[in-house]
Amino acid sequence: MTIADYATQLSPELALIVGACIAFLTGVSRNIATRSLAAPIAFTAVLAAIAATAIYGRPIDTQLPGLQFTTLTQYIRWITLLTALPLILVNWKLPVDGERGEFFGLLLTSVAGLTLTAAANDLIVLFLAIELVSVPTYILVALSRTDTRASEASVKYFFLGALSAAIFAYGLSFLYGAAGTTLLISDTAPNLADSFASIQGMTLYGTIGLLLAFAGLSFKIGAVPFHAYVPDVYEGAASPVTGLLGFLPKLAGFVAIIKLLTICNWNVPDAIFWLIWTVAALTMTVGNVLALLQTNVKRMLAYSSVAHSGYMLIGLLVGPAIGEGPMHDGIAAMLFYVFVYGLMNLGAFAVLSALSNHGEDCETLRDLSGLIRRTPALAIAMVICVFSLMGFPPTAGFLGKVYIFSSAVSVDPANTFHQPLIILAVIGVINSAIAAAYYLRIVSACVMGDSKSEQEPRGGAYVRLALGACSLAMILLFIMPSLLANPARSATTSLTESGTTTLAGAQTGGQAGAQTGGQAGAQTGGPPL
Amino acid sequence: MDDAAIKTWSILVIMGPLIGAILAGVFGPTVLKGKTHFVVIAGVALSVFGAIMLFLQVSGSHGDASTTVVLYEWIPSGAPSWFNVEFRVDALTTIMLLVVTFISLLVVIYSRDYMRDHGEPAKGYERFFAYLGLFVFSMVTLVLGGNFLLLYLGWEAVGLCSYLLIGFYYDRPSAAAAAKKAFLVNRIGDFGFGLGIFLIYLTVGSLDYNTVFERISAGVASGEIETSRVTAIALLLFCGAVGKSAQFPLYVWLPDAMEGPSPVSALIHAATMVTAGVYMISRCGAIFVESQTAMTIVASVGAFTALFAATMALVQHDMKRILAYSTISQLGYMFLGLGVFAANAAVFHLYTHAFFKALLFLGAGSVMHSMGNIIDLRKFGGLKRVMPWTYATMLIGCLALSGFPLFAGFWSKDEIIHAAFNKSHFLGWIGLITALMTAFYTFRMFFRAFHGVTKIPDGVHAHESGKWMIAPLVILSLGALFAGYAGVHISGGAFLGIFEPHGALHHFLDPVLTPFSHAPHVEMVAATHWQLYGLMYTSSALAILGIVIAYGMYVDSPMLPKVIAQMFPNAHDVLYNKYYVDEACNAWIVEPLRKSGRLCFAIDKYVIDGIVWIVTAIPRGLALLLRQLQQGSLQGYGASMVIGTAIIMLVVSFLSEP
Repeated sequence: MTIADYATQLSPELALIVGACIAFLTGVSRNIATRSLAAPIAFTAVLAAIAATAIYGRPIDTQLPGLQFTTLTQYIRWITLLTALPLILVNWKLPVDGERGEFFGLLLTSVAGLTLTAAANDLIVLFLAIELVSVPTYILVALSRTDTRASEASVKYFFLGALSAAIFAYGLSFLYGAAGTTLLISDTAPNLADSFASIQGMTLYGTIGLLLAFAGLSFKIGAVPFHAYVPDVYEGAASPVTGLLGFLPKLAGFVAIIKLLTICNWNVPDAIFWLIWTVAALTMTVGNVLALLQTNVKRMLAYSSVAHSGYMLIGLLVGPAIGEGPMHDGIAAMLFYVFVYGLMNLGAFAVLSALSNHGEDCETLRDLSGLIRRTPALAIAMVICVFSLMGFPPTAGFLGKVYIFSSAVSVDPANTFHQPLIILAVIGVINSAIAAAYYLRIVSACVMGDSKSEQEPRGGAYVRLALGACSLAMILLFIMPSLLANPARSATTSLTESGTTTLAGAQTGGQAGAQTGGQAGAQTGGPPL
Repeated sequence: MDDAAIKTWSILVIMGPLIGAILAGVFGPTVLKGKTHFVVIAGVALSVFGAIMLFLQVSGSHGDASTTVVLYEWIPSGAPSWFNVEFRVDALTTIMLLVVTFISLLVVIYSRDYMRDHGEPAKGYERFFAYLGLFVFSMVTLVLGGNFLLLYLGWEAVGLCSYLLIGFYYDRPSAAAAAKKAFLVNRIGDFGFGLGIFLIYLTVGSLDYNTVFERISAGVASGEIETSRVTAIALLLFCGAVGKSAQFPLYVWLPDAMEGPSPVSALIHAATMVTAGVYMISRCGAIFVESQTAMTIVASVGAFTALFAATMALVQHDMKRILAYSTISQLGYMFLGLGVFAANAAVFHLYTHAFFKALLFLGAGSVMHSMGNIIDLRKFGGLKRVMPWTYATMLIGCLALSGFPLFAGFWSKDEIIHAAFNKSHFLGWIGLITALMTAFYTFRMFFRAFHGVTKIPDGVHAHESGKWMIAPLVILSLGALFAGYAGVHISGGAFLGIFEPHGALHHFLDPVLTPFSHAPHVEMVAATHWQLYGLMYTSSALAILGIVIAYGMYVDSPMLPKVIAQMFPNAHDVLYNKYYVDEACNAWIVEPLRKSGRLCFAIDKYVIDGIVWIVTAIPRGLALLLRQLQQGSLQGYGASMVIGTAIIMLVVSFLSEP
């Protein structure tokens, strides 16, 4: 393994980190003009990372220590970097001039952390990558505006984030204790996947480890009961940063959960299945019901963010069905949805940040009232994004929900979890209906309200450009979903060795699970433990 | 046929109007302004070009009855199959495309002047052209689509455009009400149409035309699919056609739809959109012919509507309304043709009707534009000298509609009546009586508008329309004169010793419409010479008779109509008030619905909202409780996380007990 191998394989991350370093350096300049160069630098770095992904980023068989580049890594890299572009555009003018260097440096670091999470093949690397995503976001919240609310949100977010990191690390230590190794998957060395290959291999310590790790990650994705911070932090941060919070930490959390479930070959004790089932049902319901009560659009979207995590957990619970595509493959459906969610959520927050009320972000339904009469373009973009969040055709959000729910109902009827998954899908559909109530309030405020509020457009061309890209993507991905669905389908090929295993599928009986596990072990050639 | 070429030209046909519409919508209000019509005209012209190229492709191939080109896969519909974005190109498609795009082009050109007041673009000029472009896009999608999903997409999209354009003058309450009525009545039909598509999917597990038609024919033949199921599918689909093509009892929206600008009436509510139902049934012949019941219902509804609408047209005073009832009646003919297994005659009539009816509406629009938006025949008359071009072209259109010999309408209508006689003499006689009425009401309108003493409303500067409006009229009148000859061929001993029905158009369409001609239930009666051509002489005589009566009543002795109306006051009132159908609908359907709506509203307000309040009170109470505990403090959140983790651990360890 030469240094050149590292350089080519990690070139997208290197591009991001180099960009981050340059951005940090501009931050120490005395010249204001130099310091405000950070945003274009960050944008260029992301473009460079995209180019590097396109040129060098191929899934390869050889593993670097602690890292593994699979089709999943590629997919996550693409969607992260493609979302990072509008993300930077929305944030373009955000902090006061003097602080842009730090701001964009941290933003790039966080993005790099997310792509590294997708490449992690070691518990320690996974933990570090997750923290690399999270720690910059705590600071971004504080930097986003000069306001005590932002500081308060940042401090809350930091302490609770630290607590969740502790729980996560505690869980990982149990996993290490159970298997005696931190390596996730390997052809040669002892690794977690082999030791958890069968139900028998999943000891009590392994179960506890998974549970605690899941609990720690639930904070990142904002799942109940770890969601309490979400509305406070979302409200405290400036709108563009809130759009970021809905994507980077959430996706990192989901990727990490996928990694952990992959080492069990999607074959976990019933208890964990039911735990995730309950969390998913609660997350959807609590998020939507609490959102109903809000008049503050940012808090409303914060609770909607919680609810969307619940939908995505359904996909996670169904698990992968290799090569079947998102209609049947829960993970592919989830991967499809998470990108769509990232863009539509960013779009909605971009609209809020493009309007200001006496220098403050526009936040309440009153502020949005009659938007279509003042700035029709912004109103139409808002309506598209909100319809997409609601899951209404002709937007990509509709297809995302179709994929998730259809993957849940398409599980083999012989499966023990066939029935519970259908119930979960029904809960999801009911929740979509509940959610329509508050999403439509946003739409009706934009379209039908009287235009008495007095905010002036703000944010300029960059925010509008990002907003246009987000809303056009929503329509485009509805018309041609295969642009994203096909990569999502191939992204799941690396998740199991045996083709048809699903988290639920492995549970048709202990025997079948053991068999698939055994096959996986045989194929990887690892020694059965 | 060359698949790649088909794909290219299909995309051109679809994208031309769409891009035109988007450009008009986005740049119209700011950049293009009074020149907005250019982008839409260019887009539709591209579409016409693409349609011609497709036609050449299809007519140049022999044996290849149809081609389906898949543009891309949309979403999976089952394990191996997909809902595709695909086009089906065959003779029926290309004929429809030619008609739709060609008429659209003329109408868009016509609108350039029509939508102006004294040379200045009227309010909403850009919006109008954007909608028109969107309509053409939707209509060609409907026609080109290779599966029921795209058909439904186009079906709903043309409905939406129709709604937007009927309500174009939305500040006029009558226009807004008419738009709403059209939308709601169409919803009834579309509901059935949607159910029909669901039932198709449940029955055969696919929505692709080829698969569906094959499996239904095979399934019925082998007894796997019950005939009752096919009847249900056919009737549900027909339900959609009844709404969209304004057949009894869902025709009520079309006369009101005349509130839209005249070009819209010509394009959407005469030539193209309302014929979608006819196209759909011709397309789904394989389904319809399997059900004798469905075909009988189609024929009966068509015949009844033809007669019923013609009687209402007899006494109206609004030029556009007369034409609207006439459209309903002519569509009835087409359904009659379909129902008696003469789909090629129905499509032939669709094709000729598009020319002369668009011509008549545009002519009426020309009159209306000149009269300062007045279209009531009681307020003007004798415009022959004021508007010579409009007069001449309208005369040709009226002759074609009346079925005057050798004009376009004559050939196609006669074929339908002939096919009806083959099936049942009763249906045939209805067709003939309607033909007489048609000639009468058409020329009643024509003579009152153009002959007699010149009468012009006060304060109106009557003038002939500009060249942008006259040119389409002239081109369409050529169509009304000669379009019929595509469907006849020359042969000795036939009608007038020259003309023989069933010409080039029929031969072109035959491969597509085989389900109708090969249907198991059709018994073709060997026709004698008299049956074949005698009918043509009869209907010619009836058309001339109708025109003569109209001349007698409205030019020769103008007092006669009043005398007759006084002799039969009840009959006149019933007809003038359109059989009181609207009033009956109001009393028996709308009012009860409104009352139940009020009841539902009350239930919603007091019962449901109460329950919602109680239900939401739980989380609200919980939230209050939690707020008491936490006061939004960091410690509280941390505690809830730790407690949550602990509960999870406890529950799981409890569940994990062996």
